[in-house]
Amino acid sequence: MITLNHYLVLSGLLFGIGLVGVLKRKNLLMLFFATEIMLNAVNIGFTAISNHYGDLSGQMFAFFIIAIAASEVAVGLGLLVLMYKRKTSVNLDTLTTMKG
Amino acid sequence: MSEHILSILVFFPLVAGLLGILVDKDSIRPYAITVAGIEFLLSLWLWSEFDMSFAGMQFIESVPLIDQFGISYTLGVDGISLFLIIMTTFVTFISLGSLTITNRVKELMLTVLILELTMVGVFVALDAILFYLFWELSLVPMLYIIGVWGGPNRLYAGIKFFLYTFTGSLIMLVGMLYMAYLYYQATGTWSFSLLEWYRLQLPFDLQLWLFGAFFLGFAIKVPMFPFHTWLPYAHGQAPTIGSVILAAVLLKMGTYGFVRFSLPLFPDASVAFMVPIAVLSIIMIIYTAMVAYAQEDIKQVVAYSSVSHMGVIILGTFALNVEGITGSIFLMISHGIVSGALFLLVGVIYDRRHTKLMSEFGGLASVMPRYATIFGIMMMASVGLPLTIGFVGEFLSLLGFYQQSHMLTLVAGIAIIVGAIYMLSAYKKAFFGNVTKEENKNLPDVNKVELFSLVPLVVLVVVLGLYPKPILDPVDKSVTAMVQLMQAKAVTEDGKNRIANVLVTKEAK
Amino acid sequence: MENYLYIALFAPLLGSLTAALFGARPKTLFTGLWTSALLAVSWISSIILFMHVYADPMANTVHVKLIDWISAGSLSIPFGFVVDQVSVTMMIVVTTVSTMVHVYAIGYMSHDKGFNRFFSWLSAFVFSMMVLVMSDNFAGLFIGWEGVGLCSWGLIGFWYHKESASWAANEAFIMNRIADLGMLIGIFLIYWNTGTLQYSEAFAAMGNLDHVLLVTIGAFLFVGAMGKSAQFPLHTWLADAMEGPTPVSALIHAATMVTAGVYLVIRANPLYDMIPEVGYFIASLGAFVAMFAATMALVNRDIKRVIAYSTLSQLGYMFVAAGLGAYWVALFHLMTHAFFKALLFLGAGNVMHAMDDELDPFKMGGLYKVMKPTAILMILASVALAGIYPFAGFFSKDKILEVAFNGDHYILWGVLWVTAGLTAFYSFRLIMLTFFGDERYKKLGFHPHEAYPYMLWAMAPLAVLATIAGFFEHAFIDFVTTLLPTYEFYTHHVEMILIAVTSAIAILGIATAVIIYKNGMLHPKWMERPCYKLLSNQYYIPQLYDTLFSKPYKELSTIFWKQIDLKVVDATVDLVANTFFSAGSSSRGVQSGNLSTMLRWMALGMALLLTFGFIFVVAATLLG
Repeated sequence: MITLNHYLVLSGLLFGIGLVGVLKRKNLLMLFFATEIMLNAVNIGFTAISNHYGDLSGQMFAFFIIAIAASEVAVGLGLLVLMYKRKTSVNLDTLTTMKG
Repeated sequence: MSEHILSILVFFPLVAGLLGILVDKDSIRPYAITVAGIEFLLSLWLWSEFDMSFAGMQFIESVPLIDQFGISYTLGVDGISLFLIIMTTFVTFISLGSLTITNRVKELMLTVLILELTMVGVFVALDAILFYLFWELSLVPMLYIIGVWGGPNRLYAGIKFFLYTFTGSLIMLVGMLYMAYLYYQATGTWSFSLLEWYRLQLPFDLQLWLFGAFFLGFAIKVPMFPFHTWLPYAHGQAPTIGSVILAAVLLKMGTYGFVRFSLPLFPDASVAFMVPIAVLSIIMIIYTAMVAYAQEDIKQVVAYSSVSHMGVIILGTFALNVEGITGSIFLMISHGIVSGALFLLVGVIYDRRHTKLMSEFGGLASVMPRYATIFGIMMMASVGLPLTIGFVGEFLSLLGFYQQSHMLTLVAGIAIIVGAIYMLSAYKKAFFGNVTKEENKNLPDVNKVELFSLVPLVVLVVVLGLYPKPILDPVDKSVTAMVQLMQAKAVTEDGKNRIANVLVTKEAK
Repeated sequence: MENYLYIALFAPLLGSLTAALFGARPKTLFTGLWTSALLAVSWISSIILFMHVYADPMANTVHVKLIDWISAGSLSIPFGFVVDQVSVTMMIVVTTVSTMVHVYAIGYMSHDKGFNRFFSWLSAFVFSMMVLVMSDNFAGLFIGWEGVGLCSWGLIGFWYHKESASWAANEAFIMNRIADLGMLIGIFLIYWNTGTLQYSEAFAAMGNLDHVLLVTIGAFLFVGAMGKSAQFPLHTWLADAMEGPTPVSALIHAATMVTAGVYLVIRANPLYDMIPEVGYFIASLGAFVAMFAATMALVNRDIKRVIAYSTLSQLGYMFVAAGLGAYWVALFHLMTHAFFKALLFLGAGNVMHAMDDELDPFKMGGLYKVMKPTAILMILASVALAGIYPFAGFFSKDKILEVAFNGDHYILWGVLWVTAGLTAFYSFRLIMLTFFGDERYKKLGFHPHEAYPYMLWAMAPLAVLATIAGFFEHAFIDFVTTLLPTYEFYTHHVEMILIAVTSAIAILGIATAVIIYKNGMLHPKWMERPCYKLLSNQYYIPQLYDTLFSKPYKELSTIFWKQIDLKVVDATVDLVANTFFSAGSSSRGVQSGNLSTMLRWMALGMALLLTFGFIFVVAATLLG
């Protein structure tokens, strides 16, 4: 049987993949991908739990996250394109103007 | 007006200084000298109005500032602080009078006047937070003086001075806050007023911690070994006026703090710490005297000699009897005058030769005889020759401490030997011998501007050496009252035995 | 009568201050005359006071209290002065010698640029000495004590362009200061145990004190006396002090300052009477010094140093007397010695001036023909010093030997007896080498001449006193013993034998010297011998002090500065500052501006917070 735990494990694994991606990736676009993976992993978790307990608020929250993730990516990609035009690179190591 | 004389004394320099911004650049010097002169006359007027027969605080003014925490603007003066105030205003007056700096004079005058505000404030404040406020504020103008008008390494010296002293003061602040908290626990009201704190009897272990906290604040300011290394840099880089005020007044804030705070608030801890502090003082006296002997720069000799003398002052303070503490306060005043004069004298030769290395001098006594004479008198006062002001305080301090420990006083007495060694050696290098350097052959002797400050100092050295009574009497009275308070407050057996019992000795006579 | 006290005390001060006004200017004869005149006024006042006190010693003591000097706690020190038998004797000695020296110095220093400054210092010195002997409390004594130390610094180092002179001045001051520490401790002990520093009250209270305490007080006070009176081991400054002008040596190092130590022991006789063991130590040290100094004088090639060692030797004699309880004998010898020793120094000054400041008697010889008056005066002084009847030295020195014999201190007597012979020998060695024998100076191109007449006239009263002072012995005893304790002599049966024996060795010493040096110097072979070298290098003690004390002190001071203060203490402070600075510098790496790094830090921080939270919750649940 596919129980709640399976879904949570799946969610956890995906979150881990996303986290590793965030930590390791130097390409900004890849960073966005990894962030998306993390967000969607969380979505899976929310939905699974919501289905398990029969409480719809979890799935509603998942909808919110999808919407916000989409808008965030939109803004982020827009900024990325602008930045690429300036620096002709999307490598994180070149973006150090905020050095302390 | 006399009820508010202390507030006037504290704030007049600031107000006059701020008004001085409007004064024209060419007349700023007479303006500032006049302001300092008026301040000095005001302090003399305070002395004349002072009631010599009363041992407690006089001219008390109190205005609550932050009522919930008992922080108030309380000022007061007694025999202990009266002469420190007069010395402060006097030293400021004469050092402004003989100023030879020519760039940015207006800013310098304003800075010195603000410094005077803070210095006088420290000596009259009777509220712990107010005291702390003035204490810390005095660092800023001094830092500015060193940092702007100082020598080549001034930034390092100034920052070291500021941060080092500041750190100690912060620890002292923690102590103050804890003390206020203890007072709240004991009485239920918050208060930072010193006079109220005097009435609080603390248990011995708490006294030890608090004494330690206050000790760090004062010890770095004094400066006590091993916290003294900021002083040679500060003196070496500061301009003459900075050195004079630093040595004459700022160092005394530390020793004054011991007498005003540490001793009456924590009598048992004072007794417990007496021997370690005495050992530190002895190290200060002998070690810095030897270091002074090894110096090649005459200003550094005087700087280290300051530390050496402060050792005797601390020793006198921790004699915990009337003779010793009175001696230490008199020595504070005397050291202010003598080392102020010595730094002014070093400034005289520096203005002419732009060097302070003794190897560059030699034979100056034949070129500048008046200068040599004044320097000789000040040197003898520094060494503690009887009939100069330097002897009275040193004699009383050592005499007082002798009652506590024979051996330690014997070792401390070596002060008179090592003091003579480095002073005579420096004097000989600079003044005796033949004039070997070409540049020294035609140096002008002291001029009127320089004599303006030096002559009153010489007069004071001799007159107060002959007749110290006008100063000793009020100091003696207030100190007797304080020692009585300490004796009554002491909770430990040791404390009761070691602190001089003034009532008994006075009756036995 | 109080007015005479003030005049005697303050006249020299007035002279000094007025002369100081002219200090930087070239010579004005007025300063010399004015200060000498004021000294004479002081002298006359002293004589008047003396006659007053002499008339009725116990009742006529003059006592004044000026102002309160220091009062703190229960300590009260006034400026108080007393003229009693002891102090008036000292006053007469001091003012007499000082006046003569002042007049002499007008001539001696007549070509010196610092003429005015000299008289200012000289009168200041006399004032300090008067304060010393006239004070009625230990603090006043200490004021005078340090004051004479200061003035001797100024006078020894008077020719300050000479390195050796300023060095000698510093040595004298510092060595005196070492001894002053001892005296200061003694004063502290007196105050804390008797509650007062006034002589009369302190001595009265001392009767109740514990014996060990009294010994300590006596010992510490004597340490102070050792410095001023140059007792071994604090003696090297006295010989070096000859760097100063000769009138300085005459005044300070023959008659006044160095006798301050003896004065202290005499003044403190109630104390020393109670601690005879300390007295015996003082006497033994005195005898040792007497012999020690005499041996060094035997071979010295500097006329002033010979006389200086002679002073040191005679000071030893005085301490023997004082240590053994014969205070009036010590005072008597102090008085007579002042006269003939000052005379000797002034004579030496004449010789020096004649010989262009040459000091080596080996370069002189046969000066009798050119400088008869000086020679006669010096011979007279030397005979007095050797202790030949009827001169003053005979009476006082002989009495001291009797004192030693009286107490069955035969070793002390023996030492002093031999020293008497040595004294006679070296005094006449000096006379013979300088004034008689072959005229070596002629080959060296000197043109000696006699001193100004008025200088000789200034020396004359001293010569007279050196001759006749001895005859006042009985009057002196009667006068002084109204205050000082009498000393019982049990040696009346051997008195004549002792006198004969003492005079014999003195005459033997003189004869030996005359015979050996009749024709000039000793054979150079003598000077190669090791014992000669030992003596002429002052037993190598100055070198010893230099290696043991001066150099190590300087080394240690430099080490303290460069190694410890800069490298350890200061470095620790800088270390603290550097630690903060480098900690800040390295933590700065966190703010790299790199998003990736920041994300990693964020993840790490989250993980840490979660862990802590988890632990906290678990701990809270476990602890309930």
